[in-house]
Amino acid sequence: MNALRHPGLHLILRLLLGGLFVYASLNKIADPPAFARIVYQWQVFGAVPSNLVAVILPWVEALAGILLLAGIWKREAALVVALLLVVFLAAAGSVMARGIDVENCGCTSVAAKAEAGVFHGVGWFLVLRNAFLLASSLVLVGVPADAVEGRRALVQAEGPSR
Amino acid sequence: MGLRFGRIVAILGLGAALGLLWNGFSGRGLALGRSVFVQRGDEVIEAGEAKARLDRGALFLDARPADFYKMGHIPGALPLPEPDFERAFAALEPRLRRHFNLVVYCSGYGCEASNIVARHLREKGIHAAILNEGWPAWTDAGYPVRSGEAP
Repeated sequence: MNALRHPGLHLILRLLLGGLFVYASLNKIADPPAFARIVYQWQVFGAVPSNLVAVILPWVEALAGILLLAGIWKREAALVVALLLVVFLAAAGSVMARGIDVENCGCTSVAAKAEAGVFHGVGWFLVLRNAFLLASSLVLVGVPADAVEGRRALVQAEGPSR
Repeated sequence: MGLRFGRIVAILGLGAALGLLWNGFSGRGLALGRSVFVQRGDEVIEAGEAKARLDRGALFLDARPADFYKMGHIPGALPLPEPDFERAFAALEPRLRRHFNLVVYCSGYGCEASNIVARHLREKGIHAAILNEGWPAWTDAGYPVRSGEAP
């Protein structure tokens, strides 16, 4: 459990999640209709709600990602990322249960059939990746990081006076 | 330190506001109220209107792959699968040119085939209405269906 409190780990997870979410949002922000087409393929919401998802979701991803990268509102931004990942996992489960073939999940790119296959479609790879990202975000939400080394040394030096 | 839920609401709310503003003013947005598949010149009708047109003798065109047609289709519909449009159209052309009440449909709001077929037909000077949300809208309304290769 102690390893999860390591400030270095928190920094790495923050940069990983933040960077990934900002990267994933850019492509979708640049082309809302293309992203809407991908959301339709998931067949979860209906056309008009799918349009709203396509318009709003990338901006929430971008904001949460920027906040994680910048280290502002870290836990709240991580919680938003965790909530999104829960929604993505539920949607992927629904798509797989219904046997719908989604060639490009639209996770990070709206390019049509960029590289169809296990890494872009909705399948177990996507589920495992999102589960890993969800676990990472929950560490940021739920496990407080230890003070960074310099401060810890200072605190230890001050010792019992605390 | 506890989580501040106001911040979570702020992230979600600001994201929604930025998304809607970007959609409205960037010039890259989409029309929120209808499918992005719908283009200028498309006539989109609901299932109830489609049924009324069927009763008045409309000819339906099934834009889905042929296997779906065999499993179930709207009575009287002819298969005009989008991936095989040119070949299927060549066989049906004389009938389609005589008919002035055409409705095309596909698998639902997630498929673009009906819009693409309607566009191909328009390029050939033939107008066909598009059944909004396609096959599931028809079956959900409890309207009649047929299966097999015959219309």
